[in-house]
Amino acid sequence: MPSCNKENPPYLGAPRLTLVASTAPDNARTSGGQHDWSALMAKAQDGDRDAYRSLLQQIEPYVRSLAARCFNRPADTEDVVQDVLLTVHSIRNSYDPKRPFGPWLVAIANRRIIDRLRRHTRQKAREIELSAEHETFAEAPANLDRMTSAEVALAGAIEKLPPDQRDAIRMLKLNEMSLKQASHASGRSISALKVATHRAIRNLRRMLKGEPS
Amino acid sequence: MRKTSDLIDALVDSATPVRRLRPPFLRAALWLALAVGVLGLLCIAHGVRPDISVRLRQPVFVASMIGALATAVLAALASFKLSLPDSSRWWLLLPAPALAVWVSTIGYGCLTDWVVMSPEGVRMGEAVRCFATLLLTSVPLSIAMLIMLRHAARLRPAAVSAAGGLAIAAMTSFALSLIHDLDATIMVLVWNLGVAALIAGLASAFGGPTLAWVAARVMPALPPQLSGRQP
Repeated sequence: MPSCNKENPPYLGAPRLTLVASTAPDNARTSGGQHDWSALMAKAQDGDRDAYRSLLQQIEPYVRSLAARCFNRPADTEDVVQDVLLTVHSIRNSYDPKRPFGPWLVAIANRRIIDRLRRHTRQKAREIELSAEHETFAEAPANLDRMTSAEVALAGAIEKLPPDQRDAIRMLKLNEMSLKQASHASGRSISALKVATHRAIRNLRRMLKGEPS
Repeated sequence: MRKTSDLIDALVDSATPVRRLRPPFLRAALWLALAVGVLGLLCIAHGVRPDISVRLRQPVFVASMIGALATAVLAALASFKLSLPDSSRWWLLLPAPALAVWVSTIGYGCLTDWVVMSPEGVRMGEAVRCFATLLLTSVPLSIAMLIMLRHAARLRPAAVSAAGGLAIAAMTSFALSLIHDLDATIMVLVWNLGVAALIAGLASAFGGPTLAWVAARVMPALPPQLSGRQP
């Protein structure tokens, strides 16, 4: 088995993929009258579909237990299990019924697990997964769901202001225009804008504190 | 993602009877028999080198020939053994002793012949025929080995194709020494070591994809609905 444990996943640093003596399952699974895996595989090679189904269903949990030692995410484990089953299927003619089935299966599982660990290492070295914070849009309304509750409350409070105060706050504070630019854009005098902004801030403070206006 | 139980259903549905692989020793013997056949045909078509009786009395030449042949046999055996999932990786070292003998005799011959070599020792005509022999030996043997080892594509393609490439290179070199009287040391050196390095290098660089390509065409083992998801 590749020496993996979840506390120290090998794909975080340099991959140390050591193959040690396999903890092969008992080749003879005779408990409960079940045929052993070797005999099932021999029958499957001859085209016995029932034996093949029973073999695949029996080895699936075992392969999953091997894979689960190396991967944290259940999706990765499941991918490896399916890769192993596909490989077992495609090279099932290379199994010799005279030899034990366990080492054959473990060797295939090891290969697939190592392949996936290598893929993880490559991805970690070259790719960065985007998190939700990286996903923003140019239009402010598109990012509303990312806003904190305070931001949402402020935006709502600005909406409730009288129109002249709301425009003044938007131009001077949110869009960071100068007084001269805002005066030019709105056609209002600089002193009128100053007064409107002052009142707007007072109103906002009152609204956000929950005082009646 | 497909559910694993669905995958098992699909695999069971496409489970046709398969013929088991023969033991690796037998399969290596089959490949070597093919190699002997190719060499025999070449010897009949081209004839062995005229000075073979003289050369066979030279210990270095004999050691080199035996070394090349032993390398070919052992490397072929190693590659067939390595292509099985449950065999040890240490089989890759099986051809190492023979390879050491073969490579060391090439080096020795090069050093001893160096002094007496004359500039007109290299003749292009012979070199071209040599190249033809090289292709005639290595191409059929490579194709045969690729087809015979296709199931290793999913397991350890690099090790299997390195051993296979070494077997082909050694067999090719044996054929060249048997058929062509190239006494030009550089030529022998380039052919023997260059061909070995080239074929083994090509095999380990492209062996995996090539094996997978051959496997996909010769052995469509997976049902069509799964073929897009091959590991």
